[in-house]
Amino acid sequence: MARYQAGDFAAVTALVECVGPQLHRFFMAQSARRSDADDLLQETWLRIHRVRHTYRPSEPVLPWFYAIARRVRIDHYRRASRTTARERPLEEVSDVVATLPPDEAHGEDLETLLAPLSESQREILRMMKVAGMSLEEVARATSCSVGSVKQKVHRAYRNLRDGMTALGPKRGSSRGLS
Amino acid sequence: MTDEDVDKVLQKTSGAASQVDPALLKRIADSLNSSLRPVRPLPPTWAPTAGLALICAAVAVTAAARTGFYGFEKLGLWERVLIFSTLAILVWTSGKEFVSQLIPGSRQPLSVGSILTIGSAALLGVFSLVFRDYRTDHFISAGIACLRTGLLLAIPAACMSWLLLRRGFAVNPVAAGLAGGALAGLSGVTMLELHCPNFQALHVLVWHTAVVPVSAAAGALVGWALHKHSSAK
Repeated sequence: MARYQAGDFAAVTALVECVGPQLHRFFMAQSARRSDADDLLQETWLRIHRVRHTYRPSEPVLPWFYAIARRVRIDHYRRASRTTARERPLEEVSDVVATLPPDEAHGEDLETLLAPLSESQREILRMMKVAGMSLEEVARATSCSVGSVKQKVHRAYRNLRDGMTALGPKRGSSRGLS
Repeated sequence: MTDEDVDKVLQKTSGAASQVDPALLKRIADSLNSSLRPVRPLPPTWAPTAGLALICAAVAVTAAARTGFYGFEKLGLWERVLIFSTLAILVWTSGKEFVSQLIPGSRQPLSVGSILTIGSAALLGVFSLVFRDYRTDHFISAGIACLRTGLLLAIPAACMSWLLLRRGFAVNPVAAGLAGGALAGLSGVTMLELHCPNFQALHVLVWHTAVVPVSAAAGALVGWALHKHSSAK
């Protein structure tokens, strides 16, 4: 990132190839269409490029990327809901994803698993499990306190535990868990 | 089922490869490279925070110098220490929060709303300790004059603060406006404490303290309007 700020061409390509797929997956998880995720990814990188001077090399880099990505996503959905009356709200989209079989729901088991959770709980678990961010980093990316993130993770785990226990044998057999 | 079991399932399912099109990534990288030039990173948080504190102090002292330090002269030594040290702490905290709001991915141990609530409560606590005159002469007229003065003074403080932090990027413009407005409001309160000779407890508790939340609300409104304007473009 420091090399990117210094104007190194190779650093840009390396950074886009390294962080791009993670951000794309972050958008795919919340978007009904692949084209939306592609658009959001491009818009995020343009925004990152415009405000790259706001990253300080002494700070963790992933929260910085995800904080901008979250902002782009929120702006996108607000703009979309203003411009088209047919656009469905995020929760509704999530419900659709939840009802689709795994193959149709972007083929990602994690999203099917997280579908019963609230949007904020899903977002935090995605950052922790997909991007591998720590509690502190998730707190920075979501502009929350670490305590608040811990509470959301705790509630998410409780909901997942309850859901998996209720589904017990079915989920266990499909995922190879007892 | 335990948390460890849930964790194992999450770890197992989160490993799926992303299906992002390599051509898309290449297009993005090429587009960024076409306008790439070196940039200077923002300084550490303490530097702009100190700048904001200086702006607030300078605006308050300059305004008080023009209108007179009647309030300051009337206060006792310990009253001065108590009021102005509290204001200094609040200015530093709000300034730091404002800076954090304009740097994506910054640490935010407390929300802006919490800082605003705690700050207003701290001011109310200190004012209720210092001011014990419970008369209410000219409560409304004198109060509105002080509120107006404090808010008018918050405008230059807010503009100068924004100039200092213009290179920042607010991921949450409303929260950034709230923090900036609170900071500018504190500049207004500092000026009122230096200038206002009206030591009636209710006057100070209601009208002086009100400058902070009103200014913060105005800041949030400006942040919202600016964001709406920029996203409409």
